[in-house]
Amino acid sequence: MKMRPKWLAVVLMLVLPALAAMPAYAESTLDKILKEKKIRVAIDVGNPPFGILGKDGQPDGSDVAVARQMAKDMGVELEFVQVPSTGRIPALLAGRADVTIASISVTTDRAKAVMYCHPNGALSIVIFGPQGVAITTPADLAGKRIGITRATLEEATVPKMAPPGTNIVWFDEIGATIQALLSGQVDAVAMTSFAGKTVADGNPDKKIETKLAVTTAYYAPIVRHGDFELREWINTWIFINTNNGVLAALYKKGTGVDLPPLPIF
Amino acid sequence: MNYVFQFNVVWEHLPELLAGALLTIQLSATAMALGLGVAIVCAYGQSAGPRPVRALISGYVELIRNTPFLVQIFIFYFSLPVIGIRLTANGAALAAMTINLGAYASEIIRAGIEAIPRGQVEAARALGLKPLQTFRLIIIFPAIKTVYPALASQFILLMLSSSVVSTISAVELTAITNSLQSTTFRSFEFYFVATGLYLAMALGFKAALSTIYWAVFQRGRAA
Repeated sequence: MKMRPKWLAVVLMLVLPALAAMPAYAESTLDKILKEKKIRVAIDVGNPPFGILGKDGQPDGSDVAVARQMAKDMGVELEFVQVPSTGRIPALLAGRADVTIASISVTTDRAKAVMYCHPNGALSIVIFGPQGVAITTPADLAGKRIGITRATLEEATVPKMAPPGTNIVWFDEIGATIQALLSGQVDAVAMTSFAGKTVADGNPDKKIETKLAVTTAYYAPIVRHGDFELREWINTWIFINTNNGVLAALYKKGTGVDLPPLPIF
Repeated sequence: MNYVFQFNVVWEHLPELLAGALLTIQLSATAMALGLGVAIVCAYGQSAGPRPVRALISGYVELIRNTPFLVQIFIFYFSLPVIGIRLTANGAALAAMTINLGAYASEIIRAGIEAIPRGQVEAARALGLKPLQTFRLIIIFPAIKTVYPALASQFILLMLSSSVVSTISAVELTAITNSLQSTTFRSFEFYFVATGLYLAMALGFKAALSTIYWAVFQRGRAA
C-alpha cells in the first residue's frame, strides 16, 4: 500500500475542524423557491368562487388569481398543485406544495398543523336549501339531512351547533355536496354564502334560499411550520397589495362583494 | 423531512376505524351474495335464454364492464332521484356494487359453463332433463368449481373498490378515515393504518372463501 504524503495529513488536520466549526445552514423554503425560480401552490378548483375551473379548463377564481399575482410579483414560475378539499393541508404537509392558497379559514385546530399568513379575505358559512325546507332556528335541523364537505370550516362548526338528531351527511368535495342538494338527497347543505349564491343563481327553479347563518371567518394562505421566511414574504406582499387595492380588486371580481378590513396577527 | 409521526392519534380513534371496517365487510359480503345471484341468473339467461334475453343481458354486461365504477355509483345516487327513485347512500352503494359484480361475475361463470364438456349436456338431454334442471343439477356446480379462483379474486376486488362509495357519503372504512384525517391533519398515519385494515380484510376474505371452497366443493366428495 502506498504511503500517503505527510503533508496531506497535516492539511486535513487543519481544515476539517474548521469545517466542523461552521454553523450548519439549512436552505429555507423561500431560498429554494427563489433558486429554482418556481413556486408550487396548492389550490382547490372545486371551491367556487375562490377556485374554479374556467371555461378554457384552466384554474380560475379569486384565490387562484391571488396565487398568479403573487408568483408574478415574486418573479418565479407558478406551478399549480390541484387538490380536493380534503387534500389542501396534506399536500402542504407532504411537501407537494410550498404554500396553499385555497380559502383556508383561520382556526386554532388548523394552526396546530400549519402556519397561517396574514388573512387575504373573509367568508361566512351559511346553511341553505330549497324553499320547501323549514329551517329558521338551529333546533329545526333535528331530523333533517344536512350535507357538509369534509376538511372545511363548516365541518368544524356545524356539528357543534346542530342538535342531536341531525343527520349529517359527509361528502369529500363541494361539488358532490351541491349535487346532493340539487338531486334532493339532502334537505340542506352548509357552505360559504358565496357558493350558496352561485348555486341559487344557477338553479332558479329550485328556489334556493339561505336558512341559517353559522359563522364568519377570515381565510389566509398557509405554509409549513418553520417556513418563517416564506411567511414573512407573503405577509409583506399582502400588506403592499392591501394598500394598493390589488387584493380588494381580485376579491371583488371573484365574490362580488367588497373586501372587509383585514386583520394582521 | 421534518414530519413527526404521531400514531397515538390513530390509536385513540381505533374503535371508529374498526367500526368502519365492519361496515365495509357487511356491505361487501351482502353485495357478494346478491351479485353472485345476479351473475348466475345472467349466466343462465345467456346460455339457455331466447335471443332477446341474450341480447339484453349482453347489453347490460357490456355497459357495466366498459364504464367506470365511480360514474355508476354517481348515477345510482345523484341521477336516479330525477326519475323518482331516491336511494340512501348505503342503499345506492349496495345496488351499484351488486350490479357491478353481477356483470363481471356473469362473464366469469359463463366461461366456467362453456368449459363443461358437451357430453355432459348431451347425456342430460338423453335422460330427459329439462334445460333448467340440467343447469341446476349438472352445469352450475362444476362451472363454479372450475372458475372459483377467478370468482374469488373478483370478490376481493369488489371489497377493495367499495372504498370508492365514500364519495356518495356512504359510511364505510374510507369515509371514516377521511373524516378523521380531515379533523386531525394526520393524513399519513390514518391512511397507513387504513391500508393495513384493508389488507387484513382482504386476507380474511381470501381465507373465508378458501374455507367455503373446501366446505362446498371438496368435503366428502370423491373428485
